[in-house]
Order: sequence, then C-alpha cells, then structure tokens
Amino acid sequence: MSTRTVLAALAAATTALAVGIGSAVARTDAGAADPGVTPTEILVGGTAPLTGPASAYASIARGAEAYLKHVNARGGVHGRTVSYRYLDDGYDPGRAVQVTRQLVEQDGVFAVFNSLGTEHNVAVRSYLNARKVPQLFVASGATTFGRDATAYPWTLGFQPSYATEGTIYGTYLARTRRGARVGVLFQNDEYGKDLLAGLRRAVARSSVRVVATQSYEVADADVQSQVAKLKASGADVFAVFATPKFATQAYVSATKLGWRPLVLLNAVSNASTVMRTIAAGGASGLLGRTISIAYLKDPTDPTWRDDAGVRTYRDVLRRHAPRARPDDVFHLYGMAVAHELVRVLRAAGPQPTRAKVMRAARTLNDPANPFLLPGIVVRTGRGDGFPVENVVLQRWQGGRWHTFGGLWGPPPR
Amino acid sequence: MTRPGRSELVKVGLFAAAALAVLFVPRIVSDFRAQQFAYVGIYLIALLGLNILTGYTGQISLGHGAYMAIGGYTTAILISDQGLRLGGHTFSGDMRDVWTIPLAGVVAGAIGFLFGFPALRLSGLYLALATFAVAVATPAVIRKFEGFTGGGPGINLFDAPGRTRPTETTDPVTFETVTEPIRVLGFEIHSFNEWLYYLCWGIALVMFALAWLIVRGRFGRALRAVRDSPLAAASSGVSLAKYKTLAFGISAFYAGIAGSLLAIATTFVNPETFPIALSIFLLVGVVVGGLGSLWPLVFGAIFIQFLPLWAQSISKSPGAPSVVYGVILIAVMLLLPTGAAGLVRRVGWAASRLVSRT
Repeated sequence: MSTRTVLAALAAATTALAVGIGSAVARTDAGAADPGVTPTEILVGGTAPLTGPASAYASIARGAEAYLKHVNARGGVHGRTVSYRYLDDGYDPGRAVQVTRQLVEQDGVFAVFNSLGTEHNVAVRSYLNARKVPQLFVASGATTFGRDATAYPWTLGFQPSYATEGTIYGTYLARTRRGARVGVLFQNDEYGKDLLAGLRRAVARSSVRVVATQSYEVADADVQSQVAKLKASGADVFAVFATPKFATQAYVSATKLGWRPLVLLNAVSNASTVMRTIAAGGASGLLGRTISIAYLKDPTDPTWRDDAGVRTYRDVLRRHAPRARPDDVFHLYGMAVAHELVRVLRAAGPQPTRAKVMRAARTLNDPANPFLLPGIVVRTGRGDGFPVENVVLQRWQGGRWHTFGGLWGPPPR
Repeated sequence: MTRPGRSELVKVGLFAAAALAVLFVPRIVSDFRAQQFAYVGIYLIALLGLNILTGYTGQISLGHGAYMAIGGYTTAILISDQGLRLGGHTFSGDMRDVWTIPLAGVVAGAIGFLFGFPALRLSGLYLALATFAVAVATPAVIRKFEGFTGGGPGINLFDAPGRTRPTETTDPVTFETVTEPIRVLGFEIHSFNEWLYYLCWGIALVMFALAWLIVRGRFGRALRAVRDSPLAAASSGVSLAKYKTLAFGISAFYAGIAGSLLAIATTFVNPETFPIALSIFLLVGVVVGGLGSLWPLVFGAIFIQFLPLWAQSISKSPGAPSVVYGVILIAVMLLLPTGAAGLVRRVGWAASRLVSRT
C-alpha cells in the first residue's frame, strides 16, 4: 500500500517538475524597447479559429502569415522580420482570452493583430487596453471597434462596419427603388442587429419601407418558416443578413416558395465559393437578382487575372502556403490586412514602440492596397476609427460578381 | 483496525505534502504559467465533481458544462454592474467575487439536484442523451434571457466592481504608478495571476479533501453499490433515488464552483465560453484521469488544459490540430484504458514485485 502511494507521489512530483522546467523558457523583455521587438524581429500574435464551427475563417490567418513571409523574404521592415504567431481559440471567447494572455504575457508579442470574432475581441479589449498593447485590425465588422476609440484607444478594426453596410443597402434602395417593400432576415445578435439598424436608418425618410423582419438563432436548424412569413408580408426586396449556412437555406426556401424578390446579400456570405454552393442548391434564378457589397478583389474573377495585386496574391500563396486554395477569398482578406500591418510598422520607424505604432495606425492613409478594389482608400484619422469604409455594389451574373456604379460610403457623421 | 488507520494517516500526510508543493509552484514557474496552472485547478474541481457522479455512482453526464455555465453566470451577474435585471432587481455589482463562489456552487448544485429527479428514470445511453440535451440547450437559454444574462455579447468582468485584483493608481505628486496589492490572510499578492493560482488551488484542495470524505465512508460505499449493482444496493436498503439525486447535486455543486472560478479567471462570460465541447472535454478528463479515482484526476485536468495547446504547436495546417488531438486521445485510451490511475496502479504492482523478488 505505502510503496504504491509513495511511487504515485513520485510520479506526480516528476510530472510537475517536467512541466515546470518547460515553463522556464518564458521570454524576457529586451532592454528599454517594448516587448516583442529585437534587433532582428518584430513579433505580433493573434487568435484564429483553427478548429471548431468557424474554422473556415482560419484561412484569414494563413493568408496574412503567407504575406508576412513574403515581406520577410524581401528584407522585412526596417531590417527586421515580422513574425506572426496565431493560436487556436476554437471560436470560444474564453479560450481567446487565455491564448491572448499567453501571447502577451508569455510569448511577449509586440501587438495583437487580426484576431477574429466579435465577442472574442470584446473579451480581451479591456485587458489589452489596460496593458497598452495594440489590438490591431480586429477581424469583425462590429461597429464598436471603430466607434469607441475614446474608451479603447489601443483597439482598431479593419473591414466596413455592419452598420455601414446596412446603410449602403438602404441608400441604394432609396435612390433606385421607389416604394420598395423590404423583408429582412437577420441573425439575432449584434451583427444582424447592426445591419438591420443601418438599413432602417438609411430608408427612414424615403418611400422605401421595411415591412417585415424575421430573426433566427445560430442554433436554429433552418429558416424556412421565417422566409415564408417574409414572402407573405408582400415584400419585393429580400435582405439576407445571415451567415453562409442560413443564407443558402434562405435562397433555397425562397426559390421553393416561388418568391422572386430583389435580394440584398450581406458581405459575410458573398464569397464566390458560397454563391456556387447556393447555385448548386437550385437557386440560380434568385442569384441572378442578387446585389451585395465588395471591397476585396475576388481572386476567382477573370477581370483581375492580370491584375498586379491578384498576381502577387497567387504568387505569395504558391511560394509560402503551397497547400492553400487560391480560390478561397479569405486568404486574400488576410493579405490585405497584413499589407496594412506592414505599412503601419514601416511608418512607426526604425525604433518602433507600441505608442508609435498606434499613432501610425490611427493616421493611416493608403490609397493603393493592392488587394482592395481600385479607388478604395484605407484611411483613419481623428474621430475616424474605420479603416475600410468605401465599397462598391456588385451583381451576380453568369456565375460571377460584376461590380457596377461608383464608390459608396457611410453617411457623413 | 490499526492498518486502515495507518494508511489513512499516510494519505493525510501525502495530502499535506501535496498542499505544500502546490503552495510553492508559483515560486518556481513564471507568472503566466501560474495562470495556466490555475486553470488546471479549476478543471480539477469540475473533474472531482463529475467523477463522484460518473466514476463512483455510475451515472454518465455529458452536460456538466451547463452547470459550469450556471456557476459562471451566477458570479458574473453578481459582481458586474451592467444593468442586468431579474424581476424588479437591478444588479449593480455589490458583491465581491470570492463570496459569490460558494453561492455559485449552491445554485448549480440545487439545479443539478433537481435534474437528478427526471434523470432517475433514465440510465445508460438515454441518460447520456438527456444530459447532452442540457448542454446543447444551455447557450440558447442564456441568449433567450438577455436582460438577465447579457445575451450573446456576454458580460465583460474586466472592470467589474466586485473583481479582486491589484489596483494601479497614479501618485498625485510623483505621477508614478503605485500598485496596491491584494491582501489575503496577511499575505500581499502583487500579481493577478498569482492571486488566481492561490484562489483556484486553495479551493481545489478543500474540494479534494471534501471529495475524499464523501467517497470514503458509508456514503461512498452506497454510491459504489448503486453503480455496481442497483438491484443489490436496493435490496440492502440503499435508496437509489436518494443517492442518485444527491450525486447529481454534489457533482453540479462542484461544477458550479469550477464555473464561477472560470468566470473570475477569464473575466468574461458569454454563451460560447461554455460550449458543448467543454462538457465533452470534462468527460474525457475524467476518463483520462481514471474513473473512480481522485488524485489522478490532476492528469485529466492537465490533459484538458494543455493538450489543445500542444496539438496546435505540432501543426497548424487545416484540420491538423483536431486530428492531432483525436489521435492522442485514441492513443491514450488504447494504452491506458483505465486512465492515469490504472497506469499508476500497474507501475506500482510492477515495482512492488521487483522489490519483493530482490
């Protein structure tokens, strides 16, 4: 009996020791410089859903990583290589908090960059701001990341906010579709509500009316009954503010019901790969009546076959992420964000500090991000915490998106 | 009569030694590692509770993440000031986080005890499904009562008034940052991570001793009898209903405590911080530690906390972390079908045979 227990205690002690020794490798800060900067390297980190229900978004981190490797191969930033350490959070905000703390406290990253998910970023925002760690280019369209710069000066978003997107659809309807009756399907959370609020605000003083709204929960099985109610409301415009799975269901249900409205499809679900899934579901008729926004160059669009930006994109993926699928537009999004990160780090000068980087990020003006559509400027400034705000509208025709008209922007604030 | 007494004395001695070792861990590991070990302590508490139910009483639960959610939300709602309302009462964060921990345990325990009654009619696969349904429904229920739980955006506890942490103030004369440490029992703790470590492991040790007392005597014998042969247990006068519902209540109490600590450690709760995967990880942890054992559950807790990190450090290519995790889990189950507890037993036998031969 006692031999056994003693042996057991021994085993436990050995294990504890082994784990403890492993931890002694924690990085220490070098001199007076901010953590994560050495004479040869700048280390940034972020969280990404490598596993779990949203693992399709992992391509964003992989695209950004490939682009940074490409920059490093060409000499890096002021002679330093930029390393990007992204850790899996399984799309669980609790784990996002844990691994972000690991990045900051153990790995000693200079900045947190491109972490994905609304709640995931909200969960670490106070922590990062208290520690004065830049939280750069949050991968979420929630309006709070651009709007609340006074309370969270170390946090900055990237993509057009959901509210802006909703506003643009509303403005488009008010200008081109007099008397339109809109039925809205939206996800019952901040993201869906932001889009709906933007749409409502834009049509408030026009002849366009929102005649019915239907919400769904992420855990719902399908949205068939919601679509039927929207059709019954007599709407002739169908706003689909839903993630790819539910957007696909919405198209298929509306087609089955013989409903032929104009469809406004939110950017979350407008990747060409998703569109082809919808077409395969037998809803191509409705796809031909679909309008959405765009700010990225679609790598599957033949228009950009000889475009320098998309050529760079394919080249970088081939060299630095040979197993990645170039058709997956999320890779391109990752590169667009990484391009801005490099710009910001360059602007911070040869002796970068966190404060300098944040100042550069808040005074961005990049008219030529090679991965964004021509004319779209990445710009921030005093009172403007939204880097990408302009978009173009596009129509789905003949199996691909066609942009039309000029640039659309948010309403003047 | 003397032998069991002596072996129990040895056990108490070993426990004291382990407690002492736990006390000194933050001295030898980095501040951040202390935080990771705090999470190990939290998972250990949850595993101890689940093992009382599954390992000792033979009642499977695939829904313990739900009780952790109840505990976590109890603490979050009581310490935060976000205008959350229940009936006419608005919560404004008057409570200190540490005092909400036992409360979180009691609330979760009561709900677990009540769930034990319908569960009486179910066993085996049916019970697994029913408990799994609880885990699946929990996020939707939390979203539904938005005004009370904060809904999908969750509750941010970082700046919650009831949260214990070292406070930083700027000296009005010198403009230097002054850190006001956390004072506990005359000790001063300057780092939140260290505070978290001592809080979680202090409670884990108490809960461990409690679990040992529960499974040791008559009560524990009754639980094991319910597991091994419900018929025989009932015919010897053991009330199945009483012991099963109590086991559900006790294990939910443990889960509630763990959930409360998880909320304090993570400083954020939302429906996704208690995902279905958490319930499954807990069962995995119990099996890896060893069903019907106590201290080997530490290995189960280490497994839950560190394996996802190890899995992704091996490869980050699409799908790889999940595959690595799965392969390691299968390997562990093939090589150690009785968990860490079984391995220790086998090593113990081999060693004692070696000793007796020489």
